[in-house]
Amino acid sequence: MRTGFLQRRWFHVLPGGGCAAVLILAALVLAGAAAPEPAPEGTEIKVERVPPVREKLSTLRFLRENRDFIRARLDRLREKPVGGDASAPAIDPRFLAYQGLLAEVRVAQDTVAAVEDARARQHLLESITELGDLEARLGWMERLVVEQRNRLMSLESDFTGDQRTTLMIVVSGYPSDAAVEELAITIADGDTLHVPLSAEQRESLKRGGILEAFHGFVEPREQVVQVTITGNSWPAGDSGFITLGPARDRLTFLKLDLSTIRPARGAASIRATTWLHEGESHSAGG
Amino acid sequence: MQGCARTPARQPLALRRLRRAGVTAFASALLFVPPTLAGEPAPFGARAGLDIAAVSALAWAPDARLVYIENDEALDGQGAAARWGYLFFSPHLDKARAYSVRDGKIAVADTLDMKLETRPLASDWIDSGVALAAAERVGRSFCQQHGGRLSTMFLMRGPFQDGDPDETTWTFVYASANAPSLFVVVDAAQGKVRRTSRG
Repeated sequence: MRTGFLQRRWFHVLPGGGCAAVLILAALVLAGAAAPEPAPEGTEIKVERVPPVREKLSTLRFLRENRDFIRARLDRLREKPVGGDASAPAIDPRFLAYQGLLAEVRVAQDTVAAVEDARARQHLLESITELGDLEARLGWMERLVVEQRNRLMSLESDFTGDQRTTLMIVVSGYPSDAAVEELAITIADGDTLHVPLSAEQRESLKRGGILEAFHGFVEPREQVVQVTITGNSWPAGDSGFITLGPARDRLTFLKLDLSTIRPARGAASIRATTWLHEGESHSAGG
Repeated sequence: MQGCARTPARQPLALRRLRRAGVTAFASALLFVPPTLAGEPAPFGARAGLDIAAVSALAWAPDARLVYIENDEALDGQGAAARWGYLFFSPHLDKARAYSVRDGKIAVADTLDMKLETRPLASDWIDSGVALAAAERVGRSFCQQHGGRLSTMFLMRGPFQDGDPDETTWTFVYASANAPSLFVVVDAAQGKVRRTSRG
């Protein structure tokens, strides 16, 4: 599964903020200090001990049965190359406009700094004329704030409004009596993602922190997520299997709560919940 | 039920009338029965399943391009099937991935262990029903002569169109136990029969 693209986007939108794998959101988000709405409760999903049995269906039967013949015909065609369009695709004008947006931000910052200096000296103002000048500058600041808001809306529209089918897997909680050193997560038949838990991350999880384990595009179909726990107290290769159907063009969350897990019950004792991002979703034009 | 399999030889008048009466009575009895039984996926044209398959393919690889379509379940007389398979190729990953669509959902997703380095399909291809109507003009006589049936139809660019390998074409395979299969190649842009062959 492809994760890098989304993460790079994240870094652009939140400079310097995306590098940390662990998001200490407990105090801010979960306690509701910064977010006006409480975190969604989600739907609990059963974690199975064995992979669920899936219906076996064949596809593209004719192609598979005649693969050698078709390959031979295609190879024959390759000896007679046909003309192709090698021109570079046009760059999205929105991306070219981002440079301009950055320049405007820098200009606005300089202006704001200058106005801030003027504000610091406001106690020296002695005349009505100077106060009027300050009022005009405050009005100017307001306009800058409006422009900045418009720029942020433009970025939001480009990066979060065009939501594609995305899955975010987060981990919370930590078992009290058995250390977890690593989680291995495999989505459908994709590559396995290894998430080692450092001492700082374990401490964060104990204190209510949340670890972002995966954030990337996924296929909008029912698929099985395999979670394997590694640690001294855990049997080797102990896995839990979660059947999940990410909704098309929406951001689906899957939370793995480790606080309830016990070595005797294995990875199936993970408490898994899922919910959809409540934000308005738009089709990516697919 | 395949298109040409439903065109029997001419029968005597009395027998035809008897059959017509029976069919009418049977149709009356089933008047309020929905066209598809509960739990049975409804057949659809090839283009109807493309959207969900393409969305899935782009999640797999952003450079995925559609290279092949084939019916995964039996075709009816209108070129519809309950399940269609779509194959995408990613030059970046150098892999092909198939999606089988049924009931508007992905029923199977499978990475093929074969390379299919062909050019992507043209985007303006006619749907399976229109293409079948063109092929049936040729295929029907084959079925009547040899007791054959339409077994497969697939959309591809290249290997079966010697004159213009860049053309996207529907290929229909009519199979018979008594004779070599009939291949009918239909231009997927114009809906014209380009070529027929036996093999």
